Amino acid sequence: MTVWPVTETREEDSLVSAARGGDRTAFGRLYDRYARMVHGILLARVPPREVDDLVQEVFLLALRQLHSLRDTSRFGAWLGTITRNRANDYFRKSIPEEKVAEPMPEDPVESRTANDASEQEAAVILAVVRALPEPYREPLILRLVEGMTGPEIAARTGLTHGSVRVNLYRGMQLLREKLGQTARGAS
Amino acid sequence: MKDDYLWDGSGEPDPEVQKLEKTLGRYRHNQPAPAFDEVADVPQWEPRKRYFLLRFPFQLATVAATVLVTAAVYYFSFRPKPIIDSGPAWDVARLAGAPKVGSHAMGADASVAKLSVGQTLVTDGSSRASITLDETGRVEVDANSRLRLITNGPGHKRLSLERGTIQATIWAPPGEFVVDTPSAVAVDLGCVYTLHVDDSGAGLLRTTMGWVGFKLNDHESFIPAGAVCKTRPKVGPGTPYMENASTSFQDALSRFDFESITPAERTSLVNVLLNGARKDDAMTLWHLLSRVSDAERPSVYDRLAALSPPPTGVTREGILRLDRKMLDTWWSSFGFGDIYLWHMYERDWSQTSPKSK
Repeated sequence: MTVWPVTETREEDSLVSAARGGDRTAFGRLYDRYARMVHGILLARVPPREVDDLVQEVFLLALRQLHSLRDTSRFGAWLGTITRNRANDYFRKSIPEEKVAEPMPEDPVESRTANDASEQEAAVILAVVRALPEPYREPLILRLVEGMTGPEIAARTGLTHGSVRVNLYRGMQLLREKLGQTARGAS
Repeated sequence: MKDDYLWDGSGEPDPEVQKLEKTLGRYRHNQPAPAFDEVADVPQWEPRKRYFLLRFPFQLATVAATVLVTAAVYYFSFRPKPIIDSGPAWDVARLAGAPKVGSHAMGADASVAKLSVGQTLVTDGSSRASITLDETGRVEVDANSRLRLITNGPGHKRLSLERGTIQATIWAPPGEFVVDTPSAVAVDLGCVYTLHVDDSGAGLLRTTMGWVGFKLNDHESFIPAGAVCKTRPKVGPGTPYMENASTSFQDALSRFDFESITPAERTSLVNVLLNGARKDDAMTLWHLLSRVSDAERPSVYDRLAALSPPPTGVTREGILRLDRKMLDTWWSSFGFGDIYLWHMYERDWSQTSPKSK
């Protein structure tokens, strides 16, 4: 099993401590490390066109609230929760309340301008991933879109290796089934 | 092995995963970091630090004044008022009828108002309202409800729902938003939820997104999305269950949690729960581990392990002796959220849990 390097964990604790003390360069380095996680969590929940702006908002909110984080080693889990909350807020403001519970995949054609077949294919696959149950959506997007490894997802989100591994495999299995159904439906 | 490739990119590449990576890679994050050094400093709430920056005579005077004020407060009142009001008032919007903020009724000519610490928001059978605080969240208050703003300090927002129903959508960091009820405290851990309190003080919490911690003294429940939890005065929160659990499962749980039953009846109810549990009910069985007797615990462990195998490091022996760390690790493996967040924040709020009726 791949183990997240202890030196990186310690370095990260130092970065969080420094950022909490007002060191904006340290916070910028945390952004470099966590932007993909935040981006992926948002992409699992809100329309792709909104994600980049929301990533910036999440980090600015985290910068303002960083003093409330008491254990620097939980920065990732804390940031992840802020991100999910921001996604909740997006739905609260943009769609009727009853739809907040389960964000529906947006119209694949609408997600990005589908100029060619590969863009359309990507939009369809993303819509299928986003329609999977919540526990599978996030790890799959972090793995397949953001290019994070399982151990990296666990280290960044604060979840256990076991939890991430199970959700990745089950999610992938379900994604294969759904893509198969989509292909059969299209043919 | 192909599974290794999905896990960490090692081993024999899985062509299907590779294709998905290539296709979906176009959505990958590629924005540079904002110029954080140009973001204006945000004032932080550090009263203790500022206090010690004062010069000594000033400190002495401050201490003397504090002692006098404290003595006066205790003299004129039997108990100190647990009010912190250093944040902006909540915006109240009238959604229907004429909700009352304090003694002021909001009519059609006044659709907005402010809710300050200590004030109540009361709706009758025909009125509804919402309260919003930009950096915290939005709470819709249904008809026949009575809500009071208790605390509004930085990082600590606390409401008391004395009766009625609220729907909360919270985007503040976890642990910052808390709602007291007569029988439990609901601590937001990043979520959307509905909370109802009836006239007897009994409550029902239903989580739509994220999860909520529900607590009275040492009795605590975690309610993830799709789950419901009842609470009763003097007893506190019951065992949470998924909304789609069978009626017999829900009934058995309700009797187990709140009714006076004999040990034999109790064991019988536990058996009903174990036999009726589905994979989705693993969360309920996890709560039962610490609520059943020592004699019943092994069977709960076995059923839970069959439905959701314990992760590495969690042993049967450890769970049977209710090892806190192992219980936490098992919970975190369900994927509902990191239980550490709960442990980090609940201490702040548990000091002032509602008293049993």
